[in-house]
Amino acid sequence: MLTVLLLTLLQVSTPDFNGFWTNQYTPDLAQAFGKQPPFTPHGAQRWKDVDTKDDPTAVCLPVGPSRAFTAPFPFQLVQTPKLIAFMFEYQTIYRMIYMDGRPHPPDIMEYPEFMGHSIGRWEGDTLVIDTIGINERSWLDTAGHEHSGKLHLTERIRKLDDNRLEYKVTFDDPVFFTEPWSLTRTFTRGKDTDRIMTYSCNENNKDVPHLVGNKKAPEEEKK
Amino acid sequence: MWGKTITSFGVTAIICSTMKRPWLGVLALVVLAATPATGHHSFAAQFDRSKPIKFTGKVTKLEWMNPHIYFYVDVKDEATGKVINYACEGTAPNTLYRNGWRKESLKEGDIVTVEGWRAKDGTNLMNAGSVVLADGKRVFSGSATAP
Repeated sequence: MLTVLLLTLLQVSTPDFNGFWTNQYTPDLAQAFGKQPPFTPHGAQRWKDVDTKDDPTAVCLPVGPSRAFTAPFPFQLVQTPKLIAFMFEYQTIYRMIYMDGRPHPPDIMEYPEFMGHSIGRWEGDTLVIDTIGINERSWLDTAGHEHSGKLHLTERIRKLDDNRLEYKVTFDDPVFFTEPWSLTRTFTRGKDTDRIMTYSCNENNKDVPHLVGNKKAPEEEKK
Repeated sequence: MWGKTITSFGVTAIICSTMKRPWLGVLALVVLAATPATGHHSFAAQFDRSKPIKFTGKVTKLEWMNPHIYFYVDVKDEATGKVINYACEGTAPNTLYRNGWRKESLKEGDIVTVEGWRAKDGTNLMNAGSVVLADGKRVFSGSATAP
C-alpha cells in the first residue's frame, strides 16, 4: 500500500515527458559546440583520418545512444515510474532507461552494446541519464566524430514548456577527449496524430557500393 | 526553426559551370533546394557538390523504400539519340510521407526536371535536390500542403 502511494506521489511530482518528439538534426556536433571537441592526440588523429564512407549507419548498424537524439527522425517517449523507453524511428531501435535504482551490469564494459546501458534518476524536474558500455563502433554524428569504449554519457532532459524538451548531453571519454564537453539541443513535440514509422534500412540500401568516401570529409558537413 | 529544417529544404544558390552535354544547360544561375537531410550517411561520402547536374526526362520507375526513395529518369541526348537512365536519390520515405508526399506524387511517365549533384563514383547516380514536374509543380521538397 505504501509502495503504491509512493509511486503515485512520484508520478505526480515528476513531469510527464510522454509523447512524440522531433529531434533537432545535428549532422556535425562541432558545429553545435562552436568548435572541435577537446581532442586528445589520439582523438585528433582519428578525426583527421576518419572516412565518412565508413559511417556505421550507412550499413544500417544501430545509431548509438546520443546520435539517436540528433538524427533527422522522431522518437516516441514512453514514461513509467520504473522505466523510460525511447523508441527511435531511425534504424528502428530503442533505449531503455532503468529508473528502478539498479546499477549498470558489472560486465557491461566487456559486453558493450550499440546503444549502451542506461540508468536514470530525477533531479527535481530534470531527468538525468547515465550511460556506459557503448560499442565503440558507433559514431557520435554523421560528420564522423568517433569515441572509445570508455565513453560515458550524461544526458539531462527537462521541459522548457509543454511542447519543447531541452536535451543536454555531456561526452566524457578520456581516450578521445581531454575533458568532458557538452552541447544542448531541443526536442519539439509532434502532433497527437503523429506516429513512429518503420525505418527498414536494409529494404533498399543501394548506397553502399557508391560510397567513395572522403578522408577530409567533415568540412562538407558544415555547409 | 531546427525542427522544421529537418524536413523542409533550405535554398542554396549554385552557379553551374558550362556543361559538355547540351541537355544539361550552359552557364546558369540555378537555385537548388539543399540536400535532403537523411542522416543515413554523409552526403560527401557519396555525392560531389562540385558536380551539379540538371536534366529533363521521363520518369521510368519510383522506389518508395527506406533508407531513401529512388526514382529513375530517362534522359535523351538530342544530338546522339542516346538515352541515359539516371538513378535519382531522394530523402527518406517516412519524412516525405509526414510532409504529405505520396507515391503518386511522382508517376511513371511524368516529365520532370531534376537538379542535384552527381555521384562521386562517376555512375549515373545523382542526389535529387529539386524535382519539378512539367506543369511547374515542385515535388518531394518542403510540405505537400504548404501554400
